[in-house]
Amino acid sequence: MFAVLIDQFWSLTIAGVALGFIYVLISLGYTMVYGVLRMINFANSEIFMWGTFGTVITSRDIFHYTQTSEPATGGKLALVLVSSLLMSMLVAGLTAIFVEFVAYRRLRMKGTNRLATLISAIGISIALQEVMRLLTDSRPVGSPRVLEKIILTEVWGANIRLDTVITIIAAAAIFFILERFIKLSRMGKAIRAVSMNEDAAKLMGVNLNRVITTTFLVGGLATGAAGFFYITVFEYTKFNIGFTMGMAAFTAAVLGGIGNIRGAFYGGLSLGLLEVYASAVLGTQWKAVTVFIILVLVLLFKPNGLFGEAVQTTRA
Amino acid sequence: MNKKIKGSLAVVTAAAVAFGLSSVPAASAAVKTYTIGYQGPLSGGEASTGIDEQNAVKYAIKLFEAKNKNIKIKLVSIDDQGDPAVAGTVAPGVASNKNVLGVVGPAYSGATIASLPYYKSVNMALISPSATRVSLTDPTSPDFGGPIFHRVVGKDDLQGPALAKYATAGVKDAKVFVFDDQSAYAVPLRGFVEAGLKKVAGATLVGGDSVPNTTTDFSPTIAKIKTSGATVVIYTGYYSQAAVFIKQLRDSGSKAVFAGGDGVFNQEFPKLAGAAAEGSKVTGVGGLAGVDPKLEADFKKKMGVSSGVYSVESFDAANILLSGIKAGKTTRTSMLAYVKAYSGKSISGNTIKFNANGDISYGLFAGFTTKNGVLVNTGIVK
Repeated sequence: MFAVLIDQFWSLTIAGVALGFIYVLISLGYTMVYGVLRMINFANSEIFMWGTFGTVITSRDIFHYTQTSEPATGGKLALVLVSSLLMSMLVAGLTAIFVEFVAYRRLRMKGTNRLATLISAIGISIALQEVMRLLTDSRPVGSPRVLEKIILTEVWGANIRLDTVITIIAAAAIFFILERFIKLSRMGKAIRAVSMNEDAAKLMGVNLNRVITTTFLVGGLATGAAGFFYITVFEYTKFNIGFTMGMAAFTAAVLGGIGNIRGAFYGGLSLGLLEVYASAVLGTQWKAVTVFIILVLVLLFKPNGLFGEAVQTTRA
Repeated sequence: MNKKIKGSLAVVTAAAVAFGLSSVPAASAAVKTYTIGYQGPLSGGEASTGIDEQNAVKYAIKLFEAKNKNIKIKLVSIDDQGDPAVAGTVAPGVASNKNVLGVVGPAYSGATIASLPYYKSVNMALISPSATRVSLTDPTSPDFGGPIFHRVVGKDDLQGPALAKYATAGVKDAKVFVFDDQSAYAVPLRGFVEAGLKKVAGATLVGGDSVPNTTTDFSPTIAKIKTSGATVVIYTGYYSQAAVFIKQLRDSGSKAVFAGGDGVFNQEFPKLAGAAAEGSKVTGVGGLAGVDPKLEADFKKKMGVSSGVYSVESFDAANILLSGIKAGKTTRTSMLAYVKAYSGKSISGNTIKFNANGDISYGLFAGFTTKNGVLVNTGIVK
């Protein structure tokens, strides 16, 4: 039963960490919004899906790579990768702001109850998915291979591939930058202030609307970056990929303690590793069962997740 | 003109046509319209299969109308997205639409099972071009589609062994890893592949997995394949997942032969997977081009696109219903009786005659290998 785990431990671990970092970035989209609004942004999964298309469009339509073209090298490679990343972040960031304007802002101004906002977020999420379905004729979209998946080295029998290395390093860097932003910048402090006490923050002169829009934007940027890494590793997207990834990332956020940025980090990584280990040991059919049993157990003993709730607890 | 007279004239005309009197002047023939349906995934993730099938049905109708000027055929598109849950919501509407005489479809097995109760209650003849699940024509199963369900495609118990044979052909002492996508189609097919492997000399089953059809990260499955030392990997799910999987398998450095069933049989597969798909083996149905290149050329001219998956089967299925209409079977009950007693030629040259459970007697599975980004027909798997 454990033969696969022992034999392929490092391959699995690397794959799990890369997947985990993608979860980390998506779960930031959930956790940021929750921290400030105490509401789940159900459209985040579709923001992610739109983000993946940002990368596909950049490499396929702007730089004209096709399924059969040679992977890029040197400066061109860096250019395509960086512009794809920025494009995905831009697309997802703008989508997130759009979601905030359409599904949240007006309802919040009117002081409607939380359920109305919940439904409007689900509504916009379905709309985003359907629009993409129509745009892509419901077909899966393959992304051209820009980054050749070179095997850099072999460690303990596991191949260390360029795309996984880039994903792990760059995703960790993006997470770190965002975390610093929340912790140190003026806007970051305002976000945390709103998260602690909305009324007090308003009295202190914090512009609530701007803080909320920024929160959605930052969450969207992180989610968009996740879209880029997802395409770099899996080279495939489809109008309905958001659901599975969003569900997993949301689980990761809850596991770590929703609203807590550090929680998203550890939650995402644990979930990524847990998924690959469980699949390898018990068979992939047991993946979801194992993951959710562990989630339930964690919540039984730590109802607020591993690291507790809310953005304000983000301390060094 | 009096409605009654018009009606009886039409009957006379229809009878004349049925008895082969083709010299009826077009001007005097009253044009009658009859309705048939096509049910399959026309939107959603599997839409390309349904659109391909429906195109073949439309093509059959075009040819039929060109030969029978006094009959117009209206095609009702029934979009079930290949999803049992959706099928259960669209089938009742079709069943209550009295004009629909018979349905080509449903395309998918799960959707068929969900639709059956509604169609059974109204004696709607169903001829599926692609629902291959064995239980559909097994009278001891709760999924049994009789007396209304028929199919012009070979069952999975014929496909499984064919796939096992084709996948391991040319591989000495093949060590085979088989996995499915947990769908109603893939799980039984995996069983038939594994049963078929026992009859392939030298082949051994070394492992397996069952992966949800929403998976994008296949690293645990690939870890298992590597540990098992498999030289042949067979996937019984659908093409979009197969494309994601094969890329990851090749990126991991594995050179094992990859093979899939008719779920992977789609030209989108090599397109999505790119170079990683080269050499992949897939069992599927021959397609119009493989059966009759002239017909394929005409199809392309009339429909504007090439024929796709299950085009032969969809074309055959539509033709059975159309010949029923031509023979004056214009009620559901008479159409169902006509289909049950039908005996005719498929464009593949085989004889279509349904047994008591709705199956045909032949099952042709062709082997395809990916060469230069295209699935190339390598002939019937024997």
